[in-house]
Amino acid sequence: MTAAAAPAIHRPRSRLNRRLATQVFFLLAALYFLLPLVAVLIFTFAGRWTANILPDSYTLDWWAQALGNPDLVGSFWTSIVLATGTAILDILFVVPAAYWARVRNRRLRPIIELGAAIPFCLPYIVIAFGILQLSGIVVPALQGTFLLLMLGHTAIAFPFVYWAVDAAMAAAGVERLSEAGEACGATPIQIIRRVILPNITPGLVTGSILAFATSFGEFAMAQVVGRGVRTVPIWSAEALRSYISAPGTFNQLAVITFITFALLFVLSVVIVYLNRSQTVRLVPGAAEVGEAERA
Amino acid sequence: MATTAPAEAGTITAPARPRRSVGQRWVALWLPALPLLVIIGALLLAPALLLIVQSFSGNSGLTLDLWARVLGSALNREAIVTSVVLGVTCATIATIIGAPMAWLISRMFPRSRAGWLALLNVAANFGGIGLAFAYIAVLGTQGMITLGLQGAGLGFVPPRPSSFIGLTAAYSYTNVPLFVLLTIPAMGILRAEWWEAAQTASATRWQFWRMIGIPVLTPFIAGGWLLIFTWSIGIYGIAYGLAGGGGAAAIALITLQIGNILGTDVFGAGRAAVLAVLLMAMATASLVIYRRLLRRALRWL
Repeated sequence: MTAAAAPAIHRPRSRLNRRLATQVFFLLAALYFLLPLVAVLIFTFAGRWTANILPDSYTLDWWAQALGNPDLVGSFWTSIVLATGTAILDILFVVPAAYWARVRNRRLRPIIELGAAIPFCLPYIVIAFGILQLSGIVVPALQGTFLLLMLGHTAIAFPFVYWAVDAAMAAAGVERLSEAGEACGATPIQIIRRVILPNITPGLVTGSILAFATSFGEFAMAQVVGRGVRTVPIWSAEALRSYISAPGTFNQLAVITFITFALLFVLSVVIVYLNRSQTVRLVPGAAEVGEAERA
Repeated sequence: MATTAPAEAGTITAPARPRRSVGQRWVALWLPALPLLVIIGALLLAPALLLIVQSFSGNSGLTLDLWARVLGSALNREAIVTSVVLGVTCATIATIIGAPMAWLISRMFPRSRAGWLALLNVAANFGGIGLAFAYIAVLGTQGMITLGLQGAGLGFVPPRPSSFIGLTAAYSYTNVPLFVLLTIPAMGILRAEWWEAAQTASATRWQFWRMIGIPVLTPFIAGGWLLIFTWSIGIYGIAYGLAGGGGAAAIALITLQIGNILGTDVFGAGRAAVLAVLLMAMATASLVIYRRLLRRALRWL
């Protein structure tokens, strides 16, 4: 663990030891990160499982049951639609605002940054509770609806989209691009569609994936704001609660957890690939460091 | 260059258009950002302000009644202390494991770096109920490791999922990767030339770390610690999955208390608001310190 900081005298032997220690450290870390994934995967195929590290028998029943369970499949599609809608709304709201903050109105920037700090540091349960209270006063009809939940997810996921899109805009130099577009007589909408969007595609994809992932796994707001909307985390929480009374659902829970895991992994690979192995989770500090490094 | 660009853009287009009224100019300045500003105002800012107001309101205007009632309850006090201790423990674990890891990954070749980033990103985003289930699949009474160790003849008793140790282990699964992803960019500021210069001055590796590396990186690492602390206090999904439901065995946490009040007590909204404002205050304080730390740290660039 302390391999990097270990006092070392420059002899080949100690260097070898250090490399060995590093490799053991990373091997343990990889095991630690993969262990839950492996355990969940085995759970989806486990038949009888009594007293060994591996099950006594294997079966495909759980996959068949899970994929044939209308409640579970329904919650999966609800989550997919919710997360996709959240990502689309975020892109629609954030891109024009981020563009305008760079090109026309510098005063927008601190306001958006302040807004982004709220879901970044406030727990989602607090924001969800606040939205519940406010909607109870202002728009009681929206309480517990899919729409309000989606808007809530749009609000908490927007910082990830903003940081990704804004970094892409900085890298593409949108100020100069839009200047060139205006010199050619293009309208702002034409500039955004034909010039800006094609140049910030990696940021758009990264941002929408982060928004999708945030919404897909989010539990607090789904429980508090979206009462009545059955997402995957809501279904899973119920299944988790009933694992003594209904052991069968527990293995179906393994199936949906593994599917979520796999989905996250695919999305994550896309992000890492698009960002050329730079770090993915863009946070205020990280962005500042990155920008200063580029400067 | 970047700062002059908008002004230039303005001068190019201005003569082509007729003079505009104040209203039109306002629209031109703010309209494209308006939808986002509405979202921020209506769904983030206003709800937070409303909770603050509600936590101080009673039958007769402004009052501290609710605060007194919340802080007067032993269960709530226990929840606050447990949340803070849990946050400190998790942040410290994330720092001890995550800081060396971030350093080592930042020095990797791009290919293996990409693999690690993908893995860490999955782990960092894999929270909530799914993680709670994964924990039970590994370390529950019927979990893989539990059964494996017992099958090997060891009398292994796993920590209860709702216990402090159980929650710490589960939280760490997302916290350590988050910390690494958070601090990897900062690791880039330690320049290779500094190490060469230190070697030229015949410094040992340990001296280099003690005199240069650690002092330069400390603000970033402290910032990472603060963020993990803040996020750990605010985690709800994992805690609900592992300890929710308010049974006798459950642990008391601020977030669980809020969820519990909302789920069971129709008249408890005011008390839940107090707890929520408490979380807000802690989060705001750490964000302010975080930004200050970062400003100090960036002077090395």
